Amino acid sequence: MSHPIIENVRRSLGRTAQTPLGLPPTIYESRQAESVDSEIERFLSEVKKLSGVGQKLSPFEIDVALETLVAEQNIRKTTVWDTPNLNLLGITEKLRSLGVELIPPNASKHEMALCDLGITEADYILPETGTLILHSSVEKPRAVSLLPRIHLAIIRPELLRADMHQVFAEAKDSHYLVFITGPSRTADIELTVTLGVHGPKNLYVWMLRG
Amino acid sequence: MNIMSETPTYINFEEYSEHVPASIPSAVQQATSRFVGGRAARVAELPQWEELRQIGSDIRLHTIENMDVYLTRLEEKVISAGGHVHWAETAEDANRIVLQIARENNVKTAVKSKSMATEEIGLNHALEAAGIEAIETDLGEYIIQLAGTGPSHIIVPAVHLKKEEIAALFSEKLGIYAPTDPIELARIAREILRGKFLNADMGISGGNFLVAETGTLVMVTNEGNGRMCTTLPDLHVAVVGIDKVIPDWESLTVFLKLLARSATGQKLSTYTQFITGPRRAEGEFGPKVFHLVLLDNGRSKVLKDPVGREVFKCIRCGACANVCPVYKNVGGFAYGWFISGPIGAILSPQMLGTQTARELPYASTLCGACADVCPVKIPIPAILRHLRRRVAQGDEFAQPSIPAPIRVSASIVSFALAQNWLYRFGTRLLPALMSIFKRGDWIPNAPYPLNRWTKARPLPPFTAQFRRWWKVRSSKRKRDSK
Repeated sequence: MSHPIIENVRRSLGRTAQTPLGLPPTIYESRQAESVDSEIERFLSEVKKLSGVGQKLSPFEIDVALETLVAEQNIRKTTVWDTPNLNLLGITEKLRSLGVELIPPNASKHEMALCDLGITEADYILPETGTLILHSSVEKPRAVSLLPRIHLAIIRPELLRADMHQVFAEAKDSHYLVFITGPSRTADIELTVTLGVHGPKNLYVWMLRG
Repeated sequence: MNIMSETPTYINFEEYSEHVPASIPSAVQQATSRFVGGRAARVAELPQWEELRQIGSDIRLHTIENMDVYLTRLEEKVISAGGHVHWAETAEDANRIVLQIARENNVKTAVKSKSMATEEIGLNHALEAAGIEAIETDLGEYIIQLAGTGPSHIIVPAVHLKKEEIAALFSEKLGIYAPTDPIELARIAREILRGKFLNADMGISGGNFLVAETGTLVMVTNEGNGRMCTTLPDLHVAVVGIDKVIPDWESLTVFLKLLARSATGQKLSTYTQFITGPRRAEGEFGPKVFHLVLLDNGRSKVLKDPVGREVFKCIRCGACANVCPVYKNVGGFAYGWFISGPIGAILSPQMLGTQTARELPYASTLCGACADVCPVKIPIPAILRHLRRRVAQGDEFAQPSIPAPIRVSASIVSFALAQNWLYRFGTRLLPALMSIFKRGDWIPNAPYPLNRWTKARPLPPFTAQFRRWWKVRSSKRKRDSK
C-alpha cells in the first residue's frame, strides 16, 4: 500500500497502481571528445575563466611548484587526500620539508577548518565546463576540498571525460559525488563578484603529464 | 512591507505593487540585466540549445504524468541507501516532522542552505518558536534574515539592499564595525558563519532534483554553504517538493546543462552535489543520518488540472522573472509568497487557491517573453490565461469573479461567433439596431450598458463588411484576370 500522497497523485493523474509507466523521452547525444591535448587546453582555459589557476606539470616539477605555492600563499597547515597517487608523488614529505604542518585528512572538522591548503585528486574532469568531479571515502574526505582557504587538485589526463553522460554512467552508484567548477563565489552584495565566501577562495589545478 | 515566510491568506498584488520603494526596481533591474546578458551569451555558445529545451520539457512532462511511479521508486531507493523518508501532506506536517527530528537529536542550532521549500512552509519560524536557532547561510539569505524581510530576487535575494544598508545592518545586529565594502562584508559573514557551520547540530537543505533511479538528492550552489550544511553536521534534513523528482541520471545531464545557463549565465554552478543516503564511514565527513521530507502541500491536487500542472516542469532558474516587464518594475515582494515573477503568478494561485491569489494571473502583460526563455518550455502565458478563466468563471477554490449577467452574455456571444449563420445574421442585425442611436457618423449616446463608453467619448457605429468586401474583391479579380 502506497502512502496517501502517492495515492492522491495517482487519483489526480487518473492512474492506478497498475497503470504502466509511459514511454520516457530519449535523451540527446553526448558531446564528442576531441584530442587529449585540445581537451586539456580547453579544460585549463575554462578553469582560468572561472578565476582558477591551472597549469601543466611533469611529476618532476611538483616539488618546485609546491615550494612556490607555499611561499606565495603563506601556507602553514595543509591536509592531503590519502591516495596512492598522491603518496607516490611524495607530496606530504615535500610539504613537511618546507616546514608545513600536516593535518591528517580524517582529523576533526575544527582542525580541518584551520588548514590553509587542501590537496586532492579528482575522479573525473569535464573539459567543456572546467569541472572537477570528486568521490568521497575515508581516504578522500569531502572536507579537504571544502574547509581550507585554498584547494589544490592534482589531476591526470586519464580523468578526462567527454561529457556528463560518461561520468554518470560510471559514477551514479556512488553514495556521494561533488562537481567543483571554480572557486566558491557569490554576487549577493550589489552584484559584486566575491570569491571564497564559504568554500575555498583559490582553486589551483595541476595537470600532470609525462 | 510584508514578510513572506508564512502562508498568506490573501495576496493583494495591487496594493503591494503600489507600495514598492523606488530603490527596488533599479536594484532588481541591475540584477536582471546582468543575468539576461549572461544567459544570452551561454545560449549562443550552444547550438543544440533549442533541442535541449525540448528534451527538458518532454522529460519534465513525462515525469509529471508518471509521478506516482517515480515517487515510489525514489522512496524505495532512498531507504535502501540508508536514508529516512517522510511524507508531509501540509506545511504544518513538514514543520512538525523536522521539529521532531530536531528534538530527537537534541538539536540547538541548525544551519540552512537556501531552500524555497522551507520558505514555503515557514520552517524558520517554526524552529525559532521551538527554541531552535535556524541560521540562513547563503550570503543573501543571511542578510535578509538579519533584516527580517523576504527575498526580492530568486538568485540574489538581498539585491534591493545597498552596501551601506548592509554595513549598518551588520553593525546593528552583530555589534561589530562593518565597512561599506562588499568584499569585506562577505569576509565578515564568512567568519561568523564558519563558526556556525562547525558547531551546528543539524544541516537543513532543499534540493534541486531528486533522482528516482538511485534515490539521489542533487543540490546546486555557488558559495559552498550548501556543501557546509551537508558535510559538517552529523544530521542532514532535506525538505523537497514532490515535483522535484526526475527519472534518472541521463535526464539529469539535460537539466544541469539548462539550469545554471538559464539562471546566472554560468555553464555550471560552482558546486553540484549528488547525495545518496548518509556517509558510509566516519572519516569521510558528511552526515551520519539523512532524512528526506517529501512535501506535498497541495501539489498532488494541482496535478488534476492538465493545463495548470505544467507549472511543475519548473527547475527554478528565475529566467522568466529576469525578462518580465512586470516583475522588473515591482520586484519580488509584490507577489506575496515565496515565489515571485511569472512562475509565481502561475504557481501561487494553483497552490493557495484562486481566491487567495486571484490577482496574480492578472499581474502580467501576456507579452510572452517568459515562455521564450523558459528552459523547460512552460507555456506561462497560456497558463495565465487559463487561470484568468478559472478566476472569472469560478472553480473548486473560489466563486466566479465576473457577475453572472456578464458571464451569460459572454457565453452567448462566444456561441454566436462560432455559428456561421448566426454571425452573419448578427452583422446585419447590429447596424440596423444601432442606426436608431446614430447621429451623423457617430453614436453619441448609447443605451445601457454601453453608455459607460459614450459617457466619455462617442461610439463608432458597428460595421462588419469584410465578407462583402472580400466577395466583391474576389469577383473583381476574377474579372480582371480574364
